[in-house]
Amino acid sequence: MARAKKKAGEINSSSMADISFLLLIFFLVTTTMDVDTGMKRTLPPWIDPTEQQNDVDVNERNVLKVNVARNGSIMVGTEVYRANDLNRSAGHSRLSREVYNFLVDADKSNKKDVEIDGAMYPISEGLVSLKADNESKYSVYLQVQDELTYAFNLYRDDISRLVYGVGYNELDDIQQANIRKAVPMKISEAEPNDQTKK
Amino acid sequence: MAKKGKREVPAMSTSSLPDIVFMLLFFFMAATTMREVDPLVTAQLPKAHEITELDKKNLVNIWMGKPLVSSSEDKGDALAIQLNDKTQEVGDIQNFIGATTATKGMEPTQIVVNLRVDKDATVGKLTAVKQELRKANALSISYAAMKNE
Repeated sequence: MARAKKKAGEINSSSMADISFLLLIFFLVTTTMDVDTGMKRTLPPWIDPTEQQNDVDVNERNVLKVNVARNGSIMVGTEVYRANDLNRSAGHSRLSREVYNFLVDADKSNKKDVEIDGAMYPISEGLVSLKADNESKYSVYLQVQDELTYAFNLYRDDISRLVYGVGYNELDDIQQANIRKAVPMKISEAEPNDQTKK
Repeated sequence: MAKKGKREVPAMSTSSLPDIVFMLLFFFMAATTMREVDPLVTAQLPKAHEITELDKKNLVNIWMGKPLVSSSEDKGDALAIQLNDKTQEVGDIQNFIGATTATKGMEPTQIVVNLRVDKDATVGKLTAVKQELRKANALSISYAAMKNE
């Protein structure tokens, strides 16, 4: 204000705010904060159809067959489920409760064990064989997958409480891996063995 | 500096405004990830409860959905597959996985293939894609889904 000598005038920086505002608005608009979420699965390795197939021997008793038909109805074992049997009320859907009960029952007849902290625990033998008609809708298929996952997670939670005394989500990574070993998520996504042979 | 006779309430200083704006700017610049590929298909993802967050580093996206207008002239088929920035056929998936893993310097078994499938798609199409993935030895997959509240 009261400088003695005025040399080269300073650059007017009042437009700086405007420029940065412009940039800010640009980044505000272009930013997408979404994180990728999804349901993880592992596919079985490819087996050449010409090769001799040696199917893994599983006890029929430990396999629950789930079939998704093209009209959206679902066969679970010998029973027919409708779309609303997938909807949850009070935390469970009819399907997830059924699969959970199956997992609890299937556990009894096995021989293999996994060692967790020096103690032996049986490995869950329950296997869900999921088949879907080629014309069935993906949204139904994924909803079925969702309920199956939920049933497995419920059972993992049970085993976790049995082994560690707390729920599965409160365990650290190593403990969770142990529980996953004891309760592997055995969902077999069967290949299409019907009309459209690929 | 003012030569006013009587002092009024001074105007609010706006000199820190640029600083604040810059701070916000840097935040958004750091948080922004530019979309690498233009969508050619619309895939309305289904909703699910039991989903997990996926690590972006080893994620490879495959879109399956209705083709957008520009590319749908000769396609009588209602479902298109998008790999990177073009719509391709099921048979191209093996090459795509090979090329992608080569550029990433990873083995096919190390990547997670994120299947962004439209909820109205049929399971048959999905199965065909999964078979190709098995042939390409890309066995870790994920069904992309939105959180169901």
